[in-house]
Amino acid sequence: MSMDIPRQSLAPTKPPRRGFLRDNPSVLWFMGLLGLFTLGVTVLSEGMGIGMVSTNLVKILGMTLCLCLIAIAMDVVWGYCGILSLGHFAFFGLGGYAIGMWLMYARTEIVIRDSLGRGTIPPTPAEISEGVAAQIFGVVGSSELPLIWTFAGSLPFQLSMVVLVPGLLALVFGWLAFRSRVTGVYLSILTQAMTLALALYLFQNDTGLRGNNGLSGLQNIPGALDVPQSVLSVWFFWASALALGLGYMLFAWVVSGKFGSVIRAIRDNEARVRFLGYNVEGYKLFVFTITAIISGIAGALYYPQAGIINPAEIAPIASIYLAVWVAIGGRGRLYGAVIGAASVSLLSSWLTGGGAPNIDLGLYRIVWTDWWLVLLGLGFVAVTLFFPKGIGGLFDYLVRKS
Amino acid sequence: MLRLPRLAAFAACLIALACFGAAPAAAQTPPASDSITPLQDVLQQVQPQVANPSRATVPQVLGALLAADAPGTVAFLRAWADREVYERPADGLFFFARDTANRNLMLVDIDTGAELAEVTSREVNQIRPNAGVRREIGAALVSFELLNPDPARRLAALENIARSPDSEQIEPLQAAFAIEEDNRISERMERLLDLLNARFATDTATRVDAIDGLSGDISTEARRILNQILQTRAEFAPEIPEGTNVARVRTPGVDMDLAAAYATLADAGLAPPHLGRNAIRDALRNNVVDGTVGGVPVHLLDNDERRREAYEALEAAGMVAPLVTEEDMRAAVAEYVFFDAYLEPDPAVTTAARASLDSTRTAISLWQFLSISLDAVSLASIFFLAAIGLAITFGVMRVINMAHGEFIMMGAYTGYVVQTVIPNYTTSLVVALPLAFAVTFAAGVAMERLVIRHLYTRPLETLLATFGISIALQQLAKNIFGTQARPLTAPDWLAGAIQVNDLVSVASIRVAIFAMALGFLVLLLFILNRTRLGLEVRAVTQNPGMAASMGINPDRINMLTFGLGSGIAGVAGVAIGLVAQVTSEMGANYIVQSFMTVVVGGVGSVFGTLAGATLIGALQKGIEWFNPTNTLAAQTYMVLFIILFIQFRPKGIVALKGRAAGD
Repeated sequence: MSMDIPRQSLAPTKPPRRGFLRDNPSVLWFMGLLGLFTLGVTVLSEGMGIGMVSTNLVKILGMTLCLCLIAIAMDVVWGYCGILSLGHFAFFGLGGYAIGMWLMYARTEIVIRDSLGRGTIPPTPAEISEGVAAQIFGVVGSSELPLIWTFAGSLPFQLSMVVLVPGLLALVFGWLAFRSRVTGVYLSILTQAMTLALALYLFQNDTGLRGNNGLSGLQNIPGALDVPQSVLSVWFFWASALALGLGYMLFAWVVSGKFGSVIRAIRDNEARVRFLGYNVEGYKLFVFTITAIISGIAGALYYPQAGIINPAEIAPIASIYLAVWVAIGGRGRLYGAVIGAASVSLLSSWLTGGGAPNIDLGLYRIVWTDWWLVLLGLGFVAVTLFFPKGIGGLFDYLVRKS
Repeated sequence: MLRLPRLAAFAACLIALACFGAAPAAAQTPPASDSITPLQDVLQQVQPQVANPSRATVPQVLGALLAADAPGTVAFLRAWADREVYERPADGLFFFARDTANRNLMLVDIDTGAELAEVTSREVNQIRPNAGVRREIGAALVSFELLNPDPARRLAALENIARSPDSEQIEPLQAAFAIEEDNRISERMERLLDLLNARFATDTATRVDAIDGLSGDISTEARRILNQILQTRAEFAPEIPEGTNVARVRTPGVDMDLAAAYATLADAGLAPPHLGRNAIRDALRNNVVDGTVGGVPVHLLDNDERRREAYEALEAAGMVAPLVTEEDMRAAVAEYVFFDAYLEPDPAVTTAARASLDSTRTAISLWQFLSISLDAVSLASIFFLAAIGLAITFGVMRVINMAHGEFIMMGAYTGYVVQTVIPNYTTSLVVALPLAFAVTFAAGVAMERLVIRHLYTRPLETLLATFGISIALQQLAKNIFGTQARPLTAPDWLAGAIQVNDLVSVASIRVAIFAMALGFLVLLLFILNRTRLGLEVRAVTQNPGMAASMGINPDRINMLTFGLGSGIAGVAGVAIGLVAQVTSEMGANYIVQSFMTVVVGGVGSVFGTLAGATLIGALQKGIEWFNPTNTLAAQTYMVLFIILFIQFRPKGIVALKGRAAGD
């Protein structure tokens, strides 16, 4: 009789839960390597160690860590959830703008207060604010503080904007897009359109963010103006490493367990997951928004190290590069995204920065600054065609062998 | 609405201008028969008056010239007024001259146009008539030309008057108008008379008549003159003076800024100046005594309230000028009337001008609307051209080709290379169009064979792989052609513009692009719906397996379709290169918009792409109309609109239904 069959055997056998870290050995490996790397850079740095790594290089490495952070966000949204978003660099840029506003305002305020304070009569708040506005917006022919800068002098407010602006934009945009079941390449084009609209908006002089001049002088941190850049760069390196570590843990936790299974299932067959009764839109919206927020945070850490942000950074092409990094590193595994972002962006800055020696072939001289993009483009095509798993796929061989 | 006679007149003017250019050259040929006195001889009769012209002597010269009526008189008069006539002191003869390479002058015979001798500028005197003389000569020229038996010359003379109107011209024009028989010309003369009278006539009745005659005239020259008459100047007085032609009275605080009104009073010295924040601060700074100002310690003066307190203390002590409060300002301003007065003192004239200007308002906005619509159509055809290739590769085959923009760029560069080889622009264009198609067709087929074929099951990865190709191609173009923009020049017959009236004109090249877009639309519809290839393409895209079992080779069809889409992109590139600059990034500028065009229009439908392009073009121009200075804002709002539009119609304007929809 059918009743004799134990119900248990029909259900899939559930593996015993052994704890998050033991299920995800890569997290421990990653944390260990990141810690070692941070320690190594600190010891070798100019500001805190023996000075073998220049301040500039520390900044580049710190920026690379931020790029790794947005790359794992991209990996979660694309590699795990199947949404090829071409808009995450826009969130990155928004985070940068949010913190950049405070950096620029607060520093200019110090300068203005200083210069006005030298007079006999101390300045009034209105005079200071006018001076700051004239200083910041003189370049776009305005001397009034736009409305969005009202609270730019407040660090907590701008920090909350780092999270809120990308988060809300992603929430609204995602809700609109997912609700009307825009999927696949259409969604990609739609996110690209969003990025384009944002970039065009920021390019205008009268939108209050200095048009194509962008925000500059971000490497000077108000309140730490006496600290030399060599030390500041290490602080930011630490902050970036910490953010990357925490982000990695967060995303590793998000994609493991039941939640991770659902979003992977959405990637593989969205309709089937919906038929099973899951609220697909809710899951996608959550993933889209949380990755946007992390992207914003990564941007907020990146641009103080870069020193300048302008709308060109947000242009649609940047987001496509992000997808390129993740694809080269290997989708669907967090460390793959890190490897891709780190290797491609470091290689790029090495080759385009003139660090690589040019090769003289007699007939033709290979200048890397000219040929790097050709190489990247073709390499990318090759990876897509022949190694869909990316560099991270190599680890599968290692694991299988052992 | 379209005034055909004027159009015809305009065309005639163009022809006349062309003839006029040739006229002086013809006049310089030596006289055919001996009965005509050469111009040089006529001039020698009045030699001193020509060499040293003054207002009093000019009529003598003109009389002599008129009497002789020698060929080349007009050209001489013009040259004389323009200081291009030289006298040789040695024999008193007159010459034209042109500069030579070594900064000398080449003397040119006035009658024959032959080059006579090269001299230094010291050997001849340049004749320099003063402004008064030049005006006299100009007026003489006007009647000379207006009475010319050749109607084309008369029209050309009218255009000259229109270009530089002058009160001296009224009389000769009136005289000419009285005897003019050609209907067309007399119409033009009447209007010009109106224009001149409206501006220069001395009695009110004539001016008002002339201004009334201009009502309904939408030309720029008429509106400029009317606006000139209506110019105003902001003034103020205790009472409006008698005889002032007031345009409008302003009430400070309502339609005029109170502070601005007060500032004009202060500027005129009629009221003490209103002290701004900076002035107050400076006054305080000048009155610091022992670290306090007016009893307030200096370090407390970091807010406006304390500063005011200190200032009032100083004011009470009589050390600074009294503070002007808003009450004071209001009281001072109330003593005066602020108004805008017309520069033109005669109210009848200004009223007529206002009425005349108002009468054209509706017509002008209609014409402007037409102009913007034409702009929109032109923009839409460019979008359509850029997107039509995608309508095939993306719309029909569902392949996301991010390198589509680079195919456009390849087409444009092909055009550029052809132009460097073949110097004739028309021939090179004829060669470039098919060649661009061939080049990009080959590139498209190669890409399909090598890359896309392997990715038909993974559409998202096609996007990425083609993006890789796109950046590689862009950089390659940069390596080969450099970063600066390369010109792709349109042949002369496409360089002009079709001018309907002063408000509406369309560049010929844009008309050509519109025609080309239309041609592609028809061609594509024909290929897809009426040919064997089109049938097979539709079969393969709907169901490759079934198509294959019917004996169609899907590989071959995919290859050809992709090649066709890419080839069309190449041809579009040549067309776009003619209106935009050819750079390695030109394709990237169109790619996002092209995808949006296809998506908004409806994937899989050529008509959809047309609808999408029309919508996007119209939208962008429409938004620009509200804020013409900011095309970036127009683009931003357009993209936002598209994002919202896709929310409500995810399948685009023309949504395919049933099995053809493919999902």
